[in-house]
Amino acid sequence: MNVETWSRISTDAFTVAFFAYLAGMLAAFHHLAFRRRPVWVASIVLTAAGAAAHLVSVVTRGVAAERIPLGNMYEYSLALSFLVVVAYLIWVEGVARVRTLGGFVLAFATVTMAIAALFLHVGPAPLVPALNSYWRQIHVSSMIVSSSLLALGGVVTILYLAQDRRERREALPPIAGGSTALRSEEGAPHDLVPEADEPAEGRPTRRRGWLPPAAALDRLAYRLIAFAFPIWTFGVITGAIWAQEAWGRYWGWDPKETWSFITWTVFAGYLHARATSGWRGRRAAVIALIGFVSLLITYYAVNLWIVGLHSYAGVS
Amino acid sequence: MAAPALTLRSSTALAWRTLRSMRTALVLLLLLALASVAGSLVPQVGVAEARIAATFRDHPLRARIYEQLGLFDVYGSWWFTLLYVLLLVSLGACLLPRTRALVRNLRARPSPARELDGLRHYAEVSVGEDPDRAIAGARRLLRRRRFRVHRADGRPALAADKGLAREAGSLLFHWSFFLLLIGIVWGKGTGFTGTAVVVEGQTWVEAHANYDGTVREGRFFGEDHSGIRLEVEEFRATYRPTGQPEDFVTVGRLSRADGSVAREVEIRVNEPAVLDGVRFYQFGYGWAPVVEVERDGEPIASAPIVCTQATPPTGVSRLQLPWDCVLKLPSLRPQLALELVLWPDSRSLYALLDTGTAMPMFRAFAPVMTYRLYRGDLGLGSPQRTTVLDTSRMREVSSGAIGAGETVDLGDGVTMRFADLREYTVLQVGRDRGLWIVLLAAILLLVGLLPALYSSRRKLWVSAEPHDGGAMLKVGGFALHRRSQFEEEFARLVAELRRSSREEARA
Repeated sequence: MNVETWSRISTDAFTVAFFAYLAGMLAAFHHLAFRRRPVWVASIVLTAAGAAAHLVSVVTRGVAAERIPLGNMYEYSLALSFLVVVAYLIWVEGVARVRTLGGFVLAFATVTMAIAALFLHVGPAPLVPALNSYWRQIHVSSMIVSSSLLALGGVVTILYLAQDRRERREALPPIAGGSTALRSEEGAPHDLVPEADEPAEGRPTRRRGWLPPAAALDRLAYRLIAFAFPIWTFGVITGAIWAQEAWGRYWGWDPKETWSFITWTVFAGYLHARATSGWRGRRAAVIALIGFVSLLITYYAVNLWIVGLHSYAGVS
Repeated sequence: MAAPALTLRSSTALAWRTLRSMRTALVLLLLLALASVAGSLVPQVGVAEARIAATFRDHPLRARIYEQLGLFDVYGSWWFTLLYVLLLVSLGACLLPRTRALVRNLRARPSPARELDGLRHYAEVSVGEDPDRAIAGARRLLRRRRFRVHRADGRPALAADKGLAREAGSLLFHWSFFLLLIGIVWGKGTGFTGTAVVVEGQTWVEAHANYDGTVREGRFFGEDHSGIRLEVEEFRATYRPTGQPEDFVTVGRLSRADGSVAREVEIRVNEPAVLDGVRFYQFGYGWAPVVEVERDGEPIASAPIVCTQATPPTGVSRLQLPWDCVLKLPSLRPQLALELVLWPDSRSLYALLDTGTAMPMFRAFAPVMTYRLYRGDLGLGSPQRTTVLDTSRMREVSSGAIGAGETVDLGDGVTMRFADLREYTVLQVGRDRGLWIVLLAAILLLVGLLPALYSSRRKLWVSAEPHDGGAMLKVGGFALHRRSQFEEEFARLVAELRRSSREEARA
């Protein structure tokens, strides 16, 4: 088979995945509103089928371009949305068993894919020499993996803030939390997140409204971000190593570098905020939200609107 | 006299306390992010020089305000430096007592048992062995699980803990930033970076004078340029049929100042060449016609001329643009100068004349140059660049075209021959001795981050009392982080204690 055939398979599979996600998203929102278990099962099946088609799209794209398909913005978006969906299936549905977030996650994935298809699409082609390095594969794949987890964390954080607001407004009488006596035992000031698993004080554990309890959403967001943060750090470091190889300096405050640093700093702030009294809960979540916006700027805006060394990444 | 000293001391103490607090560190961290945002929105020195010039041209007032605030060089400005120095001081103030506490904690044994049934997790296991043997069994089990275990004196009781890696990792992560900063400052301070322009067939020596003013040396640079020699044999640029660049490579030979190591090198994008810590990166390239000028048969000039290119307008590729070169002949009276426009592939020029669109030039093909000859005063008294011609005191006397291998008569017995067309390569040359420190710091940072985020501190106590001919093991414990996980771990440990005692009993 030739390049055109592989390329067509890739775009066809992309379309299949897109519409499967769209249908899965509708089913998930239906489930959120009316709680019919078969509808939830349908949404999972549709999402899994979409993810399978999505994987086909990624692989055939790589075959068509004769390289790992992480060379331009279209391919990044393809991989990013795929990983967001896979992370959601494994983590949110599988591990955390939160059954109500599918619609929001799929909305994020479909918007990412729509932007990719409408504005970022380029045909499969070999890379310019500047991108031709094995560091690219390590750097880009770790950035994509961490971005997808951070994006998922961002979606969950938005839902946390919504649910937290609802719980506050309903002004539930505080329920005495678990044992708080041990809290101050080792309250080291700079320690990263000592209270990771602790639900916010005085909050109910039963469900209010459509969403899971705020404490559960907060915990889920934290876990996603805490998992993604070292991968992001690794991605920035390998990016610096690649920059040293390609441009002769490991750090030059190029806009993409600057924004990846900003995103890193904001999420580091989030992790610390969760360990600081008076910053836990809403304030920390707002920082995570800023991090989410910063992530989107790092991902899109820098390549599309700000001129720099990374602006060659496939969009002209 | 005591009162002001006290005020000073107490205000210093207050400042120190404020600086040490996590809240301050957090605010400083977020301010640093905010400052970086400013740096990505305003064009920066060394990244977007052209846009800075445009700002000065189009919005002079705004540009002056930006300049006063240091916004064109955010990352080198005093306030950015102040921010990260404050952050590091705050960090250090926080890390010192924590490090001392960790060392104390590492040396100390796990503290002895207290009221076990008051702990968050508590279980009782009745076993068939006597208390001493049961405790020995529990000790083996906990050791296997990598707990630090301490047996109380004289009593059948254990104190165990695990997860100091969390605090150690967190400290390693944070201390690494100091190492990172040392690596950056030392590496940049003692290093240099500049660009070398070398024509095929020429040898370039790594020395201050040979950078043509492009070299930037660090603050503590000891004038120790390496004297490394680079002979460039060939530069090759290859393109795909679509016009997409495929490969840029400089082929040459590197040797030390004393002529020792001579090594063949191929310098590509993403594949720098290194000798004694001096790195050569493929950065750019261009064309250099060899022009021989003679007067009455006497050679006056015979050297490759490095040509430059204007910035292409939007929609036009660099490959479609001709190259501009200047040849100054100061030894003649009156002085002569040639302004040359080089078309490496003459078909491109003909296409431009025919259709109005120049063809992209991938390689040399019957190269041709158009020229203008100027006569008058070059004005060499004032400093000027070799690639720019000042024609204010000169007059154009003739113009024409010359193909490769041809000779033209410029009048007054002066002839010009287009002898050869070569390429030149532009290499970025630099040395940064701090690279290894920076890399080490980055690795340590990452190594520390993992336990800091994922490991958790937990404490466990076991005591045994005689019970029913055997013993009753009381197990209590708690975790400071990741509590839901500890719940499972605790249940597993208790189950294992029960199982191992049963196995012992059977044996």
